[in-house]
Amino acid sequence: MATTAPPDATLSPLPRADGSAKYSYAGYTVTATVTGPIEAQRRDEHAYEAHVDVIVRPAAGVGGTRERHLESILQSSLSQLILVKNFPRTLIQIVLQVEATPDNDYVNTKLVQTSLNFPIIPALLQTAVLALLSAAMPMRATATSAVVAVVSQDGTSRTVADASARDIETAQSVHVLAFTSQDELLLAESEGDFTVEEWDDVYETAKRICCQSGASKAGIEMLVDDESLNGPDMRQFLRSTLETKVDADLHWK
Amino acid sequence: MAAEHPLVLPGDTIDPSLIPTHKKQPLRLGPGLRHNPPSTILPTVAGQLVTDLRKNSMWVEYNGGRYIPSQGDLVIGQVARSATDLYFVNITPYTANASLPHLSFEGATKKTRPQLLPGALVYARVTLANRHMDPELECVSATTGRAEGLGPLTGGMAFDVSLGLARRLLMARSREEGGIEVLEQLGAEGLAFETAVGRNGRVWVSSDSLKTVVLVGRALTETDEKGLGVEQQRKLVKKLIREMR
Repeated sequence: MATTAPPDATLSPLPRADGSAKYSYAGYTVTATVTGPIEAQRRDEHAYEAHVDVIVRPAAGVGGTRERHLESILQSSLSQLILVKNFPRTLIQIVLQVEATPDNDYVNTKLVQTSLNFPIIPALLQTAVLALLSAAMPMRATATSAVVAVVSQDGTSRTVADASARDIETAQSVHVLAFTSQDELLLAESEGDFTVEEWDDVYETAKRICCQSGASKAGIEMLVDDESLNGPDMRQFLRSTLETKVDADLHWK
Repeated sequence: MAAEHPLVLPGDTIDPSLIPTHKKQPLRLGPGLRHNPPSTILPTVAGQLVTDLRKNSMWVEYNGGRYIPSQGDLVIGQVARSATDLYFVNITPYTANASLPHLSFEGATKKTRPQLLPGALVYARVTLANRHMDPELECVSATTGRAEGLGPLTGGMAFDVSLGLARRLLMARSREEGGIEVLEQLGAEGLAFETAVGRNGRVWVSSDSLKTVVLVGRALTETDEKGLGVEQQRKLVKKLIREMR
């Protein structure tokens, strides 16, 4: 399964946009562009803050209700991150083009259309954050995100981080969580049956994936093998991607 | 170098030892930093944190994004239309137009003022930049009444470059500090041209020969896109000159 491959990102692949990023992980490839702050249409204008407009375009066909729902989830998360008060009466437009989705050998992907597509949210959010960083948009913090599934096996339930499409198909419940770089919970969406204990478990797992670079820096070496099973260190990935970009931009310093 | 200018991401905590302190001067925060009262300083963009102990200031050095007007910047704008007593000038695409009063040109009176048609380029200074208001421009120094190089740009051609390159070209010593030598090299090769650099990522190039305009523009955009160093810039200039002849 593609989940074992490390995440990969390219910053500013599109020269004409203010900011852009291409991100691929776990079989998903998403390209994002950020334009803004630009003049907003009269009906979108807020007197005291920028309007964040998120557009999700699926890999094939035109977007429908499902994309509109994804947009509303991302819109509320991203406008928390961007310092919208810095740009009153303007528009910040974020376009997310899904380029590839993982193949699911077990089910016909067409049928999945009816339910909300949870595993794509981390890919979309991560790409949007990278594109915003590439556009040098003033932000409160960066964010990392993970999808966690609760799978019941032989009567006991366990949490699966970075769940594959098959895991999600058979899971009792699926959760998407996002954390800011200050370890605050930014987004929590759940689907399915689960108990409070299970949710606490899910929260801990997601937090470990999203916020672990601080822990590994503190020298907890023993946990490293354990952690690597639970997916890559997203925060470290974000930092190293940006480091490459900043070094290339400021080579003249 | 890395230790001197650490990488910061939005929301990172800044090590207090990096924040300069001065007995008398207040701390000045430049672009990319935000003061979160009472006493937290947070970066808002990804870049290298630079501190100047002498001026007691700190800022984040980065490249990219859209130009956001700030007071005192020199920009190259394009006239969109004219109203009764001011021009509406476009500084960056798709943003609200800046206003340039008809009378803020050198020696302009109600009867004699430059007639600018839509599409004309002007080199202007930002006099008012405020997030709640549209920016205002001037083509004359308010204190001396002289143009000081500002005004309508006739002939030539404008090229788009990144904000970082525009900043480097505008540095007082762009060769030593900015590592940009392509214009000096082109001049040394015997080309005659004049340029104006706008902080909004536009470079205007003018010359008697159209070939020279295109060559200078291409040299600048290529330096920008490929991130060429001084040595590579020399090679590029040699190559372009050879191709032209």
